[in-house]
Amino acid sequence: MNSQRFGTLVFCVLMASVSPGHTAETNPNATAAQKEGKLIIYSSTDSASVEPILQDFKALYPFLQVEYNDLNTTEIYNRFTAESASGAGTADFMWSSAMDLQIQLASKGNALTYASPESNSLPKWALWQNQAYGTTFEPVSIAYNKRLLPADAVPQSHADLVKLLKAKPDVYKEKIATFDPEKSGVGFLMMTQDAKVFPQFWDLAKGFGATGAKVYTSTGAMLEKVGSGEHTLAYNIIGSYVLLRQKKDASLGYVLPKDYTLVFSRIAFISKSARNPNAAKLFLDYLLSKRGQTVMSEKSLVYSIRTDVPGQITAAGLNKDLGKAVKPIEVNTDILAGLEQTKRLEFMKQWKEALKR
Amino acid sequence: MNRTFRSFAVVTVALVVFGPLGLIIYQSFLSEAFFSPTASPSLGAYQYVLADSGFHSAFGTSLLVSFGMTVIAVPLGSLLAFLLVRTDLPWKKFLEPWLLVPIFLSPVVLAFGYVVAVGPVGFFSLWTKSLLGTIPWRLYSLYGLIVIAGLTHVPHSFLYVSSALRSLDPSVEEAARVAGAGPWRIAATVSLPLVLPSILFSSALIFLLGFELFGLPLVLGDPAGLLVLTTYLYKLTNLLGVPSYHLMAVVALSIVALTFPLVYAQRRMLRTAGRFAVIGGKGQAFRPLPLGAFRWPAVGIVLLWLLVTVLLPLIGVALRSVVSQWGEGINLAEVLTLDHFRELQNHPNLIRGIINTLLLGGIGGALSVGFYAIIGLAAHRWQSRWVSFLDYLVMLPRALPGLIVGLAFLWVFLFFKPIAPLRTTLFSLWIAYTVVWLAYGLRLISASLLQVKPELEEAARVIGAGQGKVYGDVTLPLIRFGLIGSWLLMFMMFVREYSTGVYLLGPGTEVIGSLIVSLWGTGALDLISALSVIEVVSVGLILFIALRLGVRLDA
Repeated sequence: MNSQRFGTLVFCVLMASVSPGHTAETNPNATAAQKEGKLIIYSSTDSASVEPILQDFKALYPFLQVEYNDLNTTEIYNRFTAESASGAGTADFMWSSAMDLQIQLASKGNALTYASPESNSLPKWALWQNQAYGTTFEPVSIAYNKRLLPADAVPQSHADLVKLLKAKPDVYKEKIATFDPEKSGVGFLMMTQDAKVFPQFWDLAKGFGATGAKVYTSTGAMLEKVGSGEHTLAYNIIGSYVLLRQKKDASLGYVLPKDYTLVFSRIAFISKSARNPNAAKLFLDYLLSKRGQTVMSEKSLVYSIRTDVPGQITAAGLNKDLGKAVKPIEVNTDILAGLEQTKRLEFMKQWKEALKR
Repeated sequence: MNRTFRSFAVVTVALVVFGPLGLIIYQSFLSEAFFSPTASPSLGAYQYVLADSGFHSAFGTSLLVSFGMTVIAVPLGSLLAFLLVRTDLPWKKFLEPWLLVPIFLSPVVLAFGYVVAVGPVGFFSLWTKSLLGTIPWRLYSLYGLIVIAGLTHVPHSFLYVSSALRSLDPSVEEAARVAGAGPWRIAATVSLPLVLPSILFSSALIFLLGFELFGLPLVLGDPAGLLVLTTYLYKLTNLLGVPSYHLMAVVALSIVALTFPLVYAQRRMLRTAGRFAVIGGKGQAFRPLPLGAFRWPAVGIVLLWLLVTVLLPLIGVALRSVVSQWGEGINLAEVLTLDHFRELQNHPNLIRGIINTLLLGGIGGALSVGFYAIIGLAAHRWQSRWVSFLDYLVMLPRALPGLIVGLAFLWVFLFFKPIAPLRTTLFSLWIAYTVVWLAYGLRLISASLLQVKPELEEAARVIGAGQGKVYGDVTLPLIRFGLIGSWLLMFMMFVREYSTGVYLLGPGTEVIGSLIVSLWGTGALDLISALSVIEVVSVGLILFIALRLGVRLDA
């Protein structure tokens, strides 16, 4: 632990010396933030993974006391809406992987308009009205067990997977895991995007039905069971999570489908009723800065969205490997179509019919 | 003074129960979140839920699970209680602490332990497969869920029945024995019928807990599409995109509605409660019933239950905590590691979580017992309609599923301004826990109080003691061991509890339960396992020391 701490420290010092960026002296928000002294974050990024980011941020702005609430996406939404309505004070900074819920909150006037100076370094689709910001660039992958699935049997595309399930329904009986779109918002979002981009999506769903695929509410449970071999393959797993698990479980592998790879982004916004808006601005700027994104990619193993951050776990790396196959889920109100009740229930119905549940 | 004291107790309980419950009832009659400016009165939620076939099948499954687990847990729990309390079963002292493990271990962890042990690629399954060529059971099935839920709730029934058995006058069993009855016959025709109130109460409680099960069905049933009411409720948080509080409220109320027939049936069966008052106040020497030839078979039964209910999942969890990989095609000896325990140190909130949990269980548990004792004293020897009102009242919070009770408490602490400042402190968590476990704790206290013979209190009264003095000098000192036992039990309940306080937790007020859930999200099951091992060892140690110091787990 000490050596790791030390490593982080060295890393931070190095970063500080190479990055001209915004320091406490030059950033106009910093003076105002210093008076606030505090920053409250609600986030679905788990505390272990976010630790290097927070440490580096605190090294930059030591006067800020950061209160980081590690919550699941539903909890973030429930807490934020109830707290806002009661006037009791809520998060300054909202950072969640429930893209649709975040956009819904922002579109209902809960987000502060703030043009981050880092905006220019982000892809256009990752920004909504200077209120909601896509902060990451995370490919949605197919995770599999390397012990049980020989390299040549691993499906390299969505179309491959459809073929595989059709050809060997017995071999994959109960061996496939995926999200339950009825219980997981993230799972629903990915599947509706799939249905948009991939004409054979419903064949895939029927393939899941024919092989008796199991449905889950969390990535974690799926990865554990792929690791143990209870399942051989899990569909629609965010690549960053597999990377984190791979450090410990060598039997996990993942493929980024060649026909198209959905790219998912954790969305951040500053609460309109933030008590520490300047501190929140500092954090947003930091998170989107080259320095913050580098820490994110190298230390937290979360794919960086900036194309000027070099490396594999970055948008640059993905674009190079996959080219046109990269299909980002855009940060805008189109996403809210999924919250429209009749269409949503229609999708669920079709899903259940395909799954024969 | 007595009158004001009693009214105070009834009013307090009514307030703490109806605070959260009232909000949920109100929410159920609205078109959306009650705090939303566009919410309007509506019966839409009832129409939707009551007409939804998903609700019907989930309700049916829950009913089946609850019924099944009650049928398994209550007889087995009563039998274990009889064996451990009334007979000369060998190794009693050693067996008792193990029996209580399922009470304080998080159900998600317990379920995961079963997955590692007897899941499709669990170590025990793979071993069986290597012997028989097949695995003769299916963990992920309705019956798997019922059996595991039943077995893991045996301790709940054990606690109540054993506490009643301990205060049973041994001379009745002695009489039966002299008349030539064997131990089984004494259990079935004398001892257990005499503690019927406790058996019925634990049946009602377990039946209700069956509807409230979440961790077990989520891990064991959900992947295959087996929905119970709580997982159906979970679905409602996402089904329409944003959490549908009004629909969730209706589902929660459908479970609350179940408590009325349950408590009613229980009260009806106990109408002739006088029959059961064989509670001896005089210190007769207690001689355990000799089991004779059944001694070792009886130990066999207890050990078999322990193996399936405690050891199997615990070994699963412990194993997961020391390997980097497991499952099909893995040689466990090659993947042994202590890294997960080392890695736990990197979690800044870990130590705080452990301290908070112990504080909440230790000090909070003691305060809760104090609160239950006050309410219990108020209702003690009170012949009134208000007491039956209390009987119904205290069951209600436990009937609310964790997913909704947590929200309800958040709302109460947000929108009820006088207590709003408490929200970000451990105190709010304590209040929520105390309310939810009201039925459990109160029952423990009232069972203790019933053991105090009225003559003693009357004697004090005759020599001129006021009610306060009678309670302070006679009643409470007499039940002090019961109070300490209840404290230990509440400690275990609080250590495990999580969902109730999920929205009241923040940085600084984490508990072990919240840490487990947050780790679950990223699939850090290795860390969860390591954390659970630490939890079992430390709580187990506390339990062991307490039992050694003579604390008796009965009221």
